Amino acid sequence: MNRQSEARTGYLLLFPALFTLTLLALCPILILFWLSTRYRVLPFGIDAFAGIYHYVVLLQAPRFWNSLGVTLYFAALSVTLELLLGLAIALLLSRQFRGAGWVRALILLPWAVPTVVTAKLWDWIYHPDLGVLNYLLQHLGITTAPVNWLGMPSLAIHAAIIADVWKTTPFVVILLLAGLALVPPDLYRAAALDGASSLQTFVHVTLPLLRPILLVAALFRTIDALRAFDLLYVLTGGGPADATETLSIYAYKILFQTMQFGYGSAIGVMMFAVVAMLSLLQLWLGRHDMRRLVGRLP
Amino acid sequence: MTSPICEQTPVKRGRRALAAALLCLTALQGGCTSQPPSGADDTDVVTLVFRHGKLSGDLRPLQDLIRRFEATHPTVRVRAEPLPSNTDQQHQIYAINLEGGASGIDVLAMDVIWIAEFARAGWIRPLDDLFGPGQRAEFFPNALEAATYGKKIWAVPWYIDAGVLYYRKDLLKKYGRRPPPTWEELIETVRIVLGGEQEPRLYGFIWQGRQYEGLICNALEFIWGNGGDVLRPDGWTDLTSPATTNAVTFMRDLIHRHAVSPSLVTTADEETSRHLFAGGRALFTRNWPYAWSLFEQEGSPVRGKVGVGPLPSFGGGPAVSTLGGWHLGIAHDSRHPEAAWQFIEFLTSPEAQKVMARKVGIAPTRRSVYHDPKVVASQPILSTLQPILERARPRPVTPFYPMVSQILQSEFSAVLAGLRPPRTALVAAERELLHTLLLERL
Repeated sequence: MNRQSEARTGYLLLFPALFTLTLLALCPILILFWLSTRYRVLPFGIDAFAGIYHYVVLLQAPRFWNSLGVTLYFAALSVTLELLLGLAIALLLSRQFRGAGWVRALILLPWAVPTVVTAKLWDWIYHPDLGVLNYLLQHLGITTAPVNWLGMPSLAIHAAIIADVWKTTPFVVILLLAGLALVPPDLYRAAALDGASSLQTFVHVTLPLLRPILLVAALFRTIDALRAFDLLYVLTGGGPADATETLSIYAYKILFQTMQFGYGSAIGVMMFAVVAMLSLLQLWLGRHDMRRLVGRLP
Repeated sequence: MTSPICEQTPVKRGRRALAAALLCLTALQGGCTSQPPSGADDTDVVTLVFRHGKLSGDLRPLQDLIRRFEATHPTVRVRAEPLPSNTDQQHQIYAINLEGGASGIDVLAMDVIWIAEFARAGWIRPLDDLFGPGQRAEFFPNALEAATYGKKIWAVPWYIDAGVLYYRKDLLKKYGRRPPPTWEELIETVRIVLGGEQEPRLYGFIWQGRQYEGLICNALEFIWGNGGDVLRPDGWTDLTSPATTNAVTFMRDLIHRHAVSPSLVTTADEETSRHLFAGGRALFTRNWPYAWSLFEQEGSPVRGKVGVGPLPSFGGGPAVSTLGGWHLGIAHDSRHPEAAWQFIEFLTSPEAQKVMARKVGIAPTRRSVYHDPKVVASQPILSTLQPILERARPRPVTPFYPMVSQILQSEFSAVLAGLRPPRTALVAAERELLHTLLLERL
């Protein structure tokens, strides 16, 4: 078989995968983009050309900038906390101790709980009159009056972040545990022989080898956090005063509560742009680690 | 304008697709319980499906009325299907079922703010042939105005609501104050009473400032009371006029400058407000008439201490309340429009309204019922309410109301939370509003 026909066979074999990817990933995005250039309210039979007008209005709307800010703030803080906490817990759980298997299974529990249930759970925890959080704080004498956690704009976003961290840290823990298992034990032994302290071992052995996995965890979590919807929608509905309205909640409200498919799609496109840009940036920053990770796979 | 009912099929087909998509999306939320009527309605007996939101209070009077209707109309059976009490969910259930075409709904109860939207979408039938001018004369004109879109009438007012001011008679008497006719006087009265009582748990004035439809009802009362408006009759907005800006600023100042309202009003809805006032925790509160019987019920700490009257106004101008209430309409795809109309006629008849007023305490939409001695005897508050109801104004009657409301909720809420100055928020709201209202011209 000559080189040329080999290449042709290669492309032929790639075709189904590329075709599926185009159909499932690219087409919806193109349709979304096309919709965003139209006025469209289906129940009223409205369908007309809008050009870039939706974008012009959107870029001038404080509500859009607010929700962009909320999305970025939510993602940055929750992902940072999840990575730090996840790393600490993973390091702890990677040690051998009695019942380690049980604890590893238990730590997964929040991740296994459906998000709507998580949201309702935290809704009750934060309840101003009946919530356990206010009860504890008042009981311990930290606060004197019940705090309306989900009622104040500055508190609500942080309350939501805490709930998200509780729910998704286990995901990071599991990923990092897998990464820690990949570190060859010889390296630890060598470090011990050289007289490295545990901090030195962590900084010079564990962390560099864990970096590719950390990067993957960060990438997954960032993409997920930027699309945050279900937890916030059930917990706060985007309120108070839009303080927890992420781009996806904003898009949902415009698309499905007011049926403005064109304008809502424009928000969707902006959201896609933000997520794509940040993901590409992360991939670029970690391009060396990524290559190493891919190289290490069998 | 052509009748929205005469939409052509391509649009309908698109709608089916949309409805199917929506159905998939919202199946998660549960609550979609409608089943198209099965082939059970054989030969002569017609089964009407009547969907309505849960009424506050006793359900039995309505059930009794339905049974009475069935007794006088032997060929009609009525299946009443209550919807969740959350009105946003009700709206979504209607939208999904009616947009799909085969909703199986015959008669539906609609919030006043939905009628223009449902009419424009072709979800309900125009009632001009059935509900003639002679029959309409009996009803409150403002309630009819809310049911009129494109010069056609689309629904019959079932019951009616308007914002009112509740006050503590006992406390006002103690300090020699009267129910405040103006907002300025309300602030002064709160200062005097709260200063005299020295009770940190007593609040001045509680209203609804949470980010939801109730906030729009409250805000419009301040705005209209100050001579401002959101949408003008010519279709333009009046959001950035000084009258509107000042009214919105005043709402914020009630919390942040005058401190007569606690900051919790920014998260309060009707029930939060009602519970606080019922617990003796507030001097004044704004609410709907339904709260009255709950304040006066046995065991209530404020029983016999509550007064009710019109909302204050600015500087002696006329006070305006927001009109609320529910209307009955016929689904466009109902297979039994004649029977559906008979049922609506029955539920909105003076007799049925008297029963509902006396036993459930909801305000009738026919003026004559307010002069019925039996009704007045059992619900004396109705005579106080009637002039307030007469003056109540419907929220903007436009099919795009859900969009208008959402834009305003977002900006008003930001003002109350102190996140944006009123002027900035209103300019932003106006820009978004114009973008939405453009749709009306397409």
